[in-house]
Amino acid sequence: MEKLGYKDVNHQVVERCKGGDHRAQYELYKLYSKAMFNVSMRITNDYAEAEDVLQEAFVSAFKNLHNYKGEASFGSWLKKIVINAAINAIRKRRSELVPMDERTLADVPDEVNEDDSEWQVEQVRRAIQKLPDGYRVVLSLYLLEGYDHAEIGAVLEITESTSKSQYSRARKKLLEIMREPQFVA
Amino acid sequence: MKDKLEKFVQDNREEFDVFEPRPELWQQICHELPKNSPEKEAKVIKVSFGERASFSADFFFMRVAAAIILLLGCGLTIFLMKQQTPDTANTLAATQSINAAAPESINAIAPELPEVEAYYVNQIEAKKSELSEYDLKVLGLDEQQIIDKELARLDSSYVQLKQQLYTTPNTDEIVGAMIQNLQIRIKVLNRQLEVLQSLEQIKQQPIQEPQNDDTSNV
Repeated sequence: MEKLGYKDVNHQVVERCKGGDHRAQYELYKLYSKAMFNVSMRITNDYAEAEDVLQEAFVSAFKNLHNYKGEASFGSWLKKIVINAAINAIRKRRSELVPMDERTLADVPDEVNEDDSEWQVEQVRRAIQKLPDGYRVVLSLYLLEGYDHAEIGAVLEITESTSKSQYSRARKKLLEIMREPQFVA
Repeated sequence: MKDKLEKFVQDNREEFDVFEPRPELWQQICHELPKNSPEKEAKVIKVSFGERASFSADFFFMRVAAAIILLLGCGLTIFLMKQQTPDTANTLAATQSINAAAPESINAIAPELPEVEAYYVNQIEAKKSELSEYDLKVLGLDEQQIIDKELARLDSSYVQLKQQLYTTPNTDEIVGAMIQNLQIRIKVLNRQLEVLQSLEQIKQQPIQEPQNDDTSNV
């Protein structure tokens, strides 16, 4: 997702961060905090909790920077930490993200009539926020964070096919929400 | 095949990031991180501001700095030619209190500033004490007053910038200008040190030609 040259730019900063350089750390924070905060926001759906997650993730990232070997871009490495921290946070308030009885169900046929001509970003974004936790997390990871179902399965400790069916339900629910009167307007 | 929703989200991906954390959050994060060593910091400042200085177009300061150096060079030549004996006493002006009474809120506006400021103030103090080791009278130099004046002027524009910091949204630019201001002071002091050093060398050697290299450098 990120440009190739990008990683090299960050490489120097990351190296300086490894030496505990606060300025370099702040550079990275400035570069990534907004994107990462939104990742955290989408998963937790709660401002204060999203901030706690962001703080925890950045502190842990800077403390464990020696584990970052540069195989992936720094951004995606950091994102993984944020996603894990956010999922842990909502697990604390809710024992299970994907309810048991839904795990075995087959794909729901999608008969929703899709009319995207009127879609607005704000409308879609708010509709995502209205989804229940389990749906919202899977849908956000897939649609917005660019995770595939295998990766989602790994991070949520569910199977790939559960992630797929969960996603298609979430998607259907999302389109339903967007047809609600207050969203059409 | 991509479905419409996927495509829509991908096409508008940037616009989905609408939230921002509170600016204070960095302070909290910083608090939990281990402290760093000062040498490392020094390296960083050089790197990052080397780049920044190239595009922040504050030529006014550069012109002033160039003018001071030119003035110094000219003054020096005249003195050497006339072989004048020094007359005025020179004292280093009291150090400006750059760091004095920085309000708490500076952390919210430019959290990196106090560290950077402290670093440069240190440098400036070091240069000044180095300078004061030279016996200006013996070396026949009267330029210190001009430098002190210039440093005072730089300091007052620094204070102005700092006040602006609280009222302008564009803090990056102002912080950049503030750092440039500090860097120019160091340059001025460095230049003066160089001049004094070469003067001392000339004094130690039996004088063959009164002309010295400082003017050609300028």
